[in-house]
Amino acid sequence: MIRRLANWPAEVVARAPASIFAKLLTAFLVIAGLLVIVGVVGLAALDTVNLRTEELVKIQRKIAAYRQLQHDTIAQLYSVASALVVPDERTLDATLRQLNQFGYDLDRLQFVAQDEVEILERVRKDYEAFIAAVTEAIELIRAGKVAEGRAAQTERAGPLADRLERLTNELVNKAEADMLARLDESIEHYRDARLLVIAIAIVSLLLALGLGYSISLSLIAPVRKMGQRFDELAAGDFSQRVSVPNRDELGVLAANLNRMSDELARLFREIADKGEQLEIASRHKSEFLASMSHELRTPLNAILGFNEMILGQIYGEVPADMQAPLAQIQTSGKHLLRLINNVLDLAKIEAGRMELSLTEYAVSEVVESVRSTLQSLAADKGLEFVVTLPADIPLAYGDAGRITQCLMNLAGNALKFTKAGKVEIAAECRGELLVYRVEDTGTGIPPEKIGSLFTEFKQTDASIASEYGGTGLGLSISKKFVEMHGGRIWVESELGKGSAFIFEIPLRVNEKEAA
Amino acid sequence: MSGKTILYVEDNEPNRMIVRDLLKRTSYNLIEAHDGEAGVAMALEHVPDLILMDIQLPKISGMEAMRRIRANPATAQTPMVAITSFALSGDEQKAKEAGATAYLAKPYSPFDLLKLIRKLLPET
Repeated sequence: MIRRLANWPAEVVARAPASIFAKLLTAFLVIAGLLVIVGVVGLAALDTVNLRTEELVKIQRKIAAYRQLQHDTIAQLYSVASALVVPDERTLDATLRQLNQFGYDLDRLQFVAQDEVEILERVRKDYEAFIAAVTEAIELIRAGKVAEGRAAQTERAGPLADRLERLTNELVNKAEADMLARLDESIEHYRDARLLVIAIAIVSLLLALGLGYSISLSLIAPVRKMGQRFDELAAGDFSQRVSVPNRDELGVLAANLNRMSDELARLFREIADKGEQLEIASRHKSEFLASMSHELRTPLNAILGFNEMILGQIYGEVPADMQAPLAQIQTSGKHLLRLINNVLDLAKIEAGRMELSLTEYAVSEVVESVRSTLQSLAADKGLEFVVTLPADIPLAYGDAGRITQCLMNLAGNALKFTKAGKVEIAAECRGELLVYRVEDTGTGIPPEKIGSLFTEFKQTDASIASEYGGTGLGLSISKKFVEMHGGRIWVESELGKGSAFIFEIPLRVNEKEAA
Repeated sequence: MSGKTILYVEDNEPNRMIVRDLLKRTSYNLIEAHDGEAGVAMALEHVPDLILMDIQLPKISGMEAMRRIRANPATAQTPMVAITSFALSGDEQKAKEAGATAYLAKPYSPFDLLKLIRKLLPET
């Protein structure tokens, strides 16, 4: 809920149909505008404060002028009084100068207190009357009529001076009251101005923060969403779609991401379908190979059977010059049978129907059956074909048929690739392991080809096939059989010197472990 | 026809011919059946001394035929050789379970078969 509340301004920004550039520019301009407003309002407040201060100063000066006037009046009275006591010329002159000072002050007052016209007019009138009274008193004193001068002083100048004093007091009081009022007003105004500036600054700050937050979120939220979507895509999940409210570049990006996701999903489905089709085709192939092998073996069985009986003189004596060709039929037929068996085995392995048939068997019998089967082939090529077998090998437990097949494949290959020299089949027991070894003095295998030797069909497309023939299945099938026994097979070879194919399996295969 | 009787159940004519020719010069009498059902019928009718049973047969399989033959008291003890062209692992075990005395995988050497026959059923 809080998240949603916090998100709506961002959504509004996101939905705004403008480019990210335009949005950012607008935001910065708005913030700049707010700063300008804060500045202008602040300056205006300062100006007002300044103006008010100036007014206060003016009032201050007015008050000072009023006080001066008061002072002048008293000084004048004092000066006239002095002249009455000591009526010499010097005192009289000083008194007249006092009068001039008074006039000067009055002029100044007129200048600083323009708004007090009515009171000032009365002051001026009284002042003029006062001057006249004082001048008259001084004239009388000068003329030696001191008593008359005193009378003029006390009867006319005195009351005038009193009135002037009252008037100026009134002015001072009024000005002081005015000043106090203005001061209060000024303080109030200052407070208002300060409040206004602070308020506008806070509002601007909040607006700027809100704007920044909304724009940032309107950019970051879709980027995060798309990032998450990319993670899902990388993990192979094509089912989701990313939905962002943005109508800017990020909105376009999200739409493209969705399109890419859909396209990937489509391609993925296509590949999966193709894979399934391939698997079905492969299964059909395996089934076809299995039934084909069976069909091929039935007539071959008859051919080999009849030929063996002919050779065995069941149908009467065989002429001497026919024996070799008949023996060749037998050898070739058996070779063909081995090839067909390999194809059948491969089909079974691929179909996952290959199982071992575990029995006790004598290693010597297995090795001997291989030797006797391939003996004629070795003899034809003039190769030495030997078996090396220690006498003390115990009975082994495993699939004798499959082990025979492995040795047959290895020895058959050895005979095929060896032009001169010898082929040796050896077996020995090393602790719990039974090690079979087929060694030849053939052409050897280049190191770079050893890695792919045991790979299915590897030979079929290589140039070796055309030179030596063979299906290339023997080694991969042998490897499979060895591994099913829980063993391993490898080759040691030196170019030009020969090769040794070695496989080791447990002497007694564990039924549970054998796959 | 004083020799011992062997029943060979096999649907493939060349294979039957091989065994026929193989046994021609021996004292064994050979009787043949072409499918599993006929094989069972002949076994019960003639009670042969030895039965050679192919596993891949029309109608009922060699395995089923051997079970039926074994189920009959008259032929319960008759030695039987199961012959298969599949050489699938486990076939030997299954054949033994169905009642086979011995097991031979195709392609076999006719002379090996003869040796096996003589071992299970001496000629004289």
